[in-house]
Amino acid sequence: MSGHGRARRWAVVAALVAVLLALPALVGALPAEDADVPAAELRAAAVASAGVAFSGYAVSAGGLSLPVSEQLPGVADLLSDRTAMRVWWRGPDEHRVDVVGAAGETGVHTDPGGTWTWEFESATARRDAPAALALPAPPDLVPAALGRRLLSEATDDELSRIGARRVAGRDALGLRLVPAAPAASVARVDVWVDGGTGLPLAVEVVADGATVPALDTRFLDVDLATPPAGVVAFTPPAEARVLPGEDTGGLLREAADRELSPVRLPAELAGLARRAVDGAPATVGLYGSGVTLLAVAPLPGRLAAGLRSTLAAAPGAVRDGSGTRITAGPLGLVLVEPPRSGAYLLVGTVTPDALAEAAATLTGAPS
Amino acid sequence: MIGVELRKTFGRPRTWTTIAVLNALPVLVAVLLRITDLAPRPGEGPPFLSAVLTNGQLYPLAALAIVLPLFLPIAVAVVSGDAVAGEAQAGTLRYLLARPVGRTRLLVAKLVAVLAFVLVTVVVVAAVGYLVGTLLFDAQPVAAGTSVSGTSLTAEQLAGRTLLAIGYVAVSMLGVAAFGLFFSTLTDSPLAAALGALAVLVTSSLLLTLDAASPIAPYLPTRYWLAFVDLFRDPVLWRDVVRGLALQGVYVGVLLTAAWANFTTKDVTS
Repeated sequence: MSGHGRARRWAVVAALVAVLLALPALVGALPAEDADVPAAELRAAAVASAGVAFSGYAVSAGGLSLPVSEQLPGVADLLSDRTAMRVWWRGPDEHRVDVVGAAGETGVHTDPGGTWTWEFESATARRDAPAALALPAPPDLVPAALGRRLLSEATDDELSRIGARRVAGRDALGLRLVPAAPAASVARVDVWVDGGTGLPLAVEVVADGATVPALDTRFLDVDLATPPAGVVAFTPPAEARVLPGEDTGGLLREAADRELSPVRLPAELAGLARRAVDGAPATVGLYGSGVTLLAVAPLPGRLAAGLRSTLAAAPGAVRDGSGTRITAGPLGLVLVEPPRSGAYLLVGTVTPDALAEAAATLTGAPS
Repeated sequence: MIGVELRKTFGRPRTWTTIAVLNALPVLVAVLLRITDLAPRPGEGPPFLSAVLTNGQLYPLAALAIVLPLFLPIAVAVVSGDAVAGEAQAGTLRYLLARPVGRTRLLVAKLVAVLAFVLVTVVVVAAVGYLVGTLLFDAQPVAAGTSVSGTSLTAEQLAGRTLLAIGYVAVSMLGVAAFGLFFSTLTDSPLAAALGALAVLVTSSLLLTLDAASPIAPYLPTRYWLAFVDLFRDPVLWRDVVRGLALQGVYVGVLLTAAWANFTTKDVTS
């Protein structure tokens, strides 16, 4: 055969490879259509989108490594790992979120009476009643739910428009939230909102001084048809172990009742005003608003001891007169042990300075 | 031509020895599980292995999951790497091409033979797994089982999804076969061709464990191999299965075109 034929044949191969390599880039470069929607209107549409039914596939990537993998493995994984989620959403109190792993999954099925949490790895099903206070769970990381939550208390002067982008094959309008509170440790939150329905499709949270998002959650597929009720509902299979629910509120009350002289929580901490939380015991305080929040909670002695040693061993922990402090992205955490009182945990999206000031206020030390 | 190649592949004792060796590991694992009753905790070890103690009908899947990461690709790489280079090394490629058949047709026939080997191997592993599973463990003929999502699957659903999974695993091996066949046209040494295909797989598996490689992860040949687990979610998660099929198709297409470009113009001296 001639050298000419050989060259032609290899040219066919090269052209095929080039076309295949260029395809993903071409699809990715499809332009998104922006719409002339003011920021305040876009926020209103996003916040009102809880009733929009959809199903989809979302991926969240967290860069928050908290040294609580022993005490709260679920929370630590959620905030530091890549989490793939399947979502079926019929409404605010009827939805299902499956966290999909390589060889298993954890499904959270929510109905008006509470939630079922199915874990394939341990073949267990847990029933929880709706709780005012609960640990972060996979449904909280669904872009639509997280976007609504982060935008819910944003004021108009904190918001701006940042163009449009394609998310999950749909035109998503960008909305940037820059918190106004001086204590804020979040530099900005970018929410990409579906123009037609107001559904937040992607959320990026960037910490102060960081370039990559501390939390990035986005839909890869989204379908706006209402998923069937049978997919969302859950009945524990016969061979599953059914576990009683976790009672976070009870744990907090137990801790609070045990202390003889609880610290009286001030009306303001680190310049943030205290806010009321329905269903929370009086010993738990929540301060701030929007994406700048600081929570104060009493800890039972055994939890405090464990956390104290974990924090002391954590890289980057700062120990001063008021307590041991660590930060992970925008999240700060400090364990304070005021004299003649139990231990308190302060955690929130506030700057290290604000955290230290709050800890000093609680312990009565000069800040 | 295709018939000749098929007869050649399955007429060789070493083909059947390879398949027998492939089955030895799942059988050994099943016997050990039966004796010790120590199933891995769910979520640990190969997928589905934890469930076989209560439902032996799942053992075909566990058997495939056991051989999928290493044994099966090695066997496919050896057989596909041997396809053309083996003839060259034995000195028979010259005579093969002296017959009035096109080189493209020879390549296609070789490919079909390798595909048939992949399919037969996967089916035999699943069949032996089923036999071993139903003989050694409790089978649940009526209430078939629970999906990964915690819903009940009927026996028909379970059987159907198992068949799909067997097919998916077979397709997943096509990329390996294509790499082996392409390398087989590059060299006269079947060993070099098989090792080349294995080197690609080891590279791919290693890169998948690195976060830094995540931008190229969707294009790595082993990326979607475990997606057969998604067939047992309820509803089935087709996303990765579809991507896995498409990715294998792309690899097979590109590598076969490259093998054709190389082989049809190659100077055959041995």
